[in-house]
Amino acid sequence: MSIFFHQYFDLDIIRHNFSFVLEGFGQTLLLSVVSAALAMSWGLVLALMRQSPGRPMLPVRALAISYIDVMRGIPLLLVILLLSGSVPFLDFLPEKLRAPDFFGKPDIFWFGVAAIALTYGAYYAEVYRAGLEGVPYGQTEAARSLGMSHMQAMRHVIVPQAIRRVIPPMLNDFIALMKDTSLVQVIGFVEVVRAGREVQAETFNSSALTLGALMFVIFTVPLARLVDRLIARQQAQTRRAAA
Amino acid sequence: MLELEDVHKSFGKLHVLRGIDMSVSRGDVVCVIGPSGAGKSTLLRCINLLEPPERGRIVLEGQEITRARTTELNFVRRRIGMVFQQFNLFPHKTALQNVTIAQRTVLDRPKDEAIAKGKALLERVGLADKMDEYPERLSGGQQQRVAIARALAMDPHVMLFDEVTSALDPELVREVLDAMRELASEGMTMVVVTHEMKFAGEVADRVIFLDEGVVAEEGTPEQIFEEPREQRTRQFLDAVLEH
Repeated sequence: MSIFFHQYFDLDIIRHNFSFVLEGFGQTLLLSVVSAALAMSWGLVLALMRQSPGRPMLPVRALAISYIDVMRGIPLLLVILLLSGSVPFLDFLPEKLRAPDFFGKPDIFWFGVAAIALTYGAYYAEVYRAGLEGVPYGQTEAARSLGMSHMQAMRHVIVPQAIRRVIPPMLNDFIALMKDTSLVQVIGFVEVVRAGREVQAETFNSSALTLGALMFVIFTVPLARLVDRLIARQQAQTRRAAA
Repeated sequence: MLELEDVHKSFGKLHVLRGIDMSVSRGDVVCVIGPSGAGKSTLLRCINLLEPPERGRIVLEGQEITRARTTELNFVRRRIGMVFQQFNLFPHKTALQNVTIAQRTVLDRPKDEAIAKGKALLERVGLADKMDEYPERLSGGQQQRVAIARALAMDPHVMLFDEVTSALDPELVREVLDAMRELASEGMTMVVVTHEMKFAGEVADRVIFLDEGVVAEEGTPEQIFEEPREQRTRQFLDAVLEH
């Protein structure tokens, strides 16, 4: 058994590499937060495109639906490779997009962010859609009967109510997104899993990866509990409203 | 000021309105009665184009609105206020915000003007002390009075009421009917779909009996309630008045 503990819980290795792995986890968090913020915004745009009314907007709806279907069907890893491998060579794009270096972060960081935001935007769009469709139709009718345009009704009446409903499922998706950021290491970005792997390759010991796993858990478990509490609170509200 | 000529509306195979002709003069209170499924709600929804009619013409203040385009549509709806059976207040806004939001967004009224107007209207429907409450903290009767104030805030030329007391507990019906009575006495043009025959008898200038998507009979309340010409009007009135 001691070989088990030695392989996974070697305190010397953990202590020695703690700051390196923690720094990796910091990059994981940064990557997660930036990607999620963009994915949530992009997802809302997609959801609103998908909900746009009337025959003239049919192409917009079709475009949004196709995008969502396709992006949900492709592995994130593949999107990361597609972007990082070839976008730098697309000479019709502006330099800033081919070799992004915003806020001093390297291009591999931004290719990772773009791939995650484009992929998760599709997932978030579906979450928003459920939220938008969950707002009773009477709300739309009331807003329109007051003379609000479709966009005004969305902005002032429907979206604010939908956002409340979608926060718990969004946080759930955020946990999934956070774990998926580890895929960006394949293009050389050093986040927590990559940091742990480098230590593993040097020491033939997995304890640094265990440390990375712990950091994930310390972050995601409270988040999962928070989601549960938000859901319970919403259910209580719904019951109250129905009573 | 409001004319309907041969208005038709179907939902799929269901032919709900089968050629409605009616006309409402300025200051008129017209009550629409009839069995459930007769098309009463659909009629109101067609008038403010929440449900665009398939055939026929609707003329509002001399202008045909039936084929209104999007921008005209919002203009039309500003002229026509609507109050719903289920209130449809915006749950994420206070009573006062419910009354000011469309003034701000649709009419671009300055904030203090919208608030002053909103407060005056809420006072008028007897809710001076409930302005900052959210809808879930208000009784059904109070919510419905907020909904009336919300519609009035847009300075409509016509008000549509869609069975506005049907979702209320019996003891709350009166406060809503009183608010409507007051409105009628001030000369508001009103089209009221209702099951409150006593109210219709007191307030209406004319009563329309709608059955199977057509105007089966039309006349003064005295004529309709006391000596209906049509067999089906008599049957309907016997059924609703006997208990």
